[in-house]
Amino acid sequence: MKRYFDTGNRAITEGAILAGCKVFAGYPITPATEIAENMSRRLPEVGGYYVQAEDEMTGMHIAVGASLGGLKTMTATSGPGYILYADPYGWALGCEIPIVVVNAQRVGPVSGITGAPGQGEFYIARYPTHGGNAETIVLAPNSVQEAFSLTVEAFYLSERFRMPVTVLADQLVTDGWETLELPETREEIEKMGLRFKEREICRGPVFYPFTDQLDVPPVVMGHNTGGTCSDWTPTDEGYDTEEVEWAHKHSYRLINKVRNNKEVIRRYEEHFMDDDPDVVLVAYGSPSRVMISCVKKAREEGLKVGCIRPISLWPFLDDLYHRKTNYLVVELNYDGQLVREVQRCVPTGSNVHFFGKCGELPSVAEMLLQIKQILNGEPLVRSDNWEWEAW
Amino acid sequence: MDYLANKYLRPRKIPSTACSGCGLGQVHKKTVKAIDELGLGVEDVVWGTGIGCAGRQTFATWKGDNFAGTHGRVYAIASGLRIALPPDKKIICTVGDGDSFGIGFLNLLHCARRNVDMTVVVCDNLGYMSTGGQYGWTTPLGVKTDSSPYGTYESNFMQEGQDVLNILKDAGATFLARHTSLQGQEAVESIKKAILNKGFSLVHVIYPCVTNFSDRALGTRKPIAMYNWIKERTYGLHDRVPENEMCFRTGIYHDASNTRQEFSARLLEFTREIQRRAR
Repeated sequence: MKRYFDTGNRAITEGAILAGCKVFAGYPITPATEIAENMSRRLPEVGGYYVQAEDEMTGMHIAVGASLGGLKTMTATSGPGYILYADPYGWALGCEIPIVVVNAQRVGPVSGITGAPGQGEFYIARYPTHGGNAETIVLAPNSVQEAFSLTVEAFYLSERFRMPVTVLADQLVTDGWETLELPETREEIEKMGLRFKEREICRGPVFYPFTDQLDVPPVVMGHNTGGTCSDWTPTDEGYDTEEVEWAHKHSYRLINKVRNNKEVIRRYEEHFMDDDPDVVLVAYGSPSRVMISCVKKAREEGLKVGCIRPISLWPFLDDLYHRKTNYLVVELNYDGQLVREVQRCVPTGSNVHFFGKCGELPSVAEMLLQIKQILNGEPLVRSDNWEWEAW
Repeated sequence: MDYLANKYLRPRKIPSTACSGCGLGQVHKKTVKAIDELGLGVEDVVWGTGIGCAGRQTFATWKGDNFAGTHGRVYAIASGLRIALPPDKKIICTVGDGDSFGIGFLNLLHCARRNVDMTVVVCDNLGYMSTGGQYGWTTPLGVKTDSSPYGTYESNFMQEGQDVLNILKDAGATFLARHTSLQGQEAVESIKKAILNKGFSLVHVIYPCVTNFSDRALGTRKPIAMYNWIKERTYGLHDRVPENEMCFRTGIYHDASNTRQEFSARLLEFTREIQRRAR
């Protein structure tokens, strides 16, 4: 094992290289620029290719094109580029081409604040393109080390599910400096629980089988398989069709290959959840680090508080929120996104509260204060005239 | 089904569902004929398409590998694919005028800049005919379409001094030609040269749309009227054209075939060099 003091951007780069990424195509954007920079340095060393595209949409299209040629590929951006991915993301979802997409969330809307953390793309990551009729896979790291391991995992899932997988990080995770341990031997890799899957090639003639099964190899061009893929609804052989019957079959696979295999994706972390806590905190990404510290502090003070950190954000882990209790959802946005899903999942009679910050992390003291307010049946403390509860 | 169709195309998709009188099949056939005359097999070509008439009618007609990108994106996808494919595989894309000179123009320009090895055959029906007949970026000035009921007022990419082929030449394309689908072997010869160029080639072929373009612009759906309209306006590159007459200047605009290193070859060489230094 080699120890470094480095950024999440470096961790993501090394994760991709370890997973066998051979092509990176993207466009420089804060705070994901260093992923592109690191890839431009590292890829040629391992026989891979770095392409700087004319915009984010093209970057992802080039990456998806290279994946269509049989190489593992990645692209990385932040919010303003992620919305430009809508087109290639949809194409890769529909054509079922594996690719890893990194989004280092910053403050929005639009260009917002470039060098500060936000969590505004929780829902866009679920619905990254138009047209519906598909499930998506999104993983959210909260540390440099986890940015590394989840990037490896994202490659694994993208190959097994033959679809794009988003690593939804935030500026603090990608730009933040922390200890990063990189495995050097097979044993170390196994010890870290990393999973890998090599690219396979669909030989046809059925390229789009009517099934929810995993491990259907993707269509790959250049092997004379007669592989066909397009933006239109495919028949099982990949021919374009206008028939609703085929759209139904195609959607069945796109939706159910994820829904019926959720266990493969499922990842979460819980702390102090064994004694039916009076307040359950929920957060993902960098605020979850503060949340965990806060819960430990609360326990020291004798408060019955626990916390849940979803790591695989989508498909959403509905069952984690089965307790009838008070929930406090902490996010790096003011509008409240994750909180809506938690509200949807909790049993009737639960109380769901929202505490939002953006561009900076909430402090342990701030969170603790809100917990106490909830325990006392008081409204949350507001730092301004905003109705935090009015999400 | 003729010899070419039997050898290279899928019986399931040929004949296509194009309107009767459509000239797209002429462009399609010229492209396949060029492939045949070069002695290439089904396995030598990966066929890309875009959207619209040209994209939809030619998608998955090739017996080998086929892909269709979203609106204007086939050039970007092909650039990525080029990196992954062995150098001897040809990428041939049949696309429309809206796809290439409109929504995909930025990508097209950068493919020319990078000199990505692909042959783009632009099948130009002078506007957006698949969506019912709106003007596009090569629709002649003053022509009536569904979205220009009083005639187009914007200048276009085939006008003197702003020819799209000159723009692509300056961007770095290494083979450029323009023809009409009514022309015969000379167009096939251009496509052959385009395929033989290891670099970015584009052959722009104007073809008649009888159903929509002709109906609005010429007031008739008689194929012969539309065919004659194109034929009367077809000139060679150096022919004298009567003043103020709209024309299609045909011929090879630019042939710098195999003079500049191709994108993926350069990238491969570059990568090998870095790897060698790293060792």
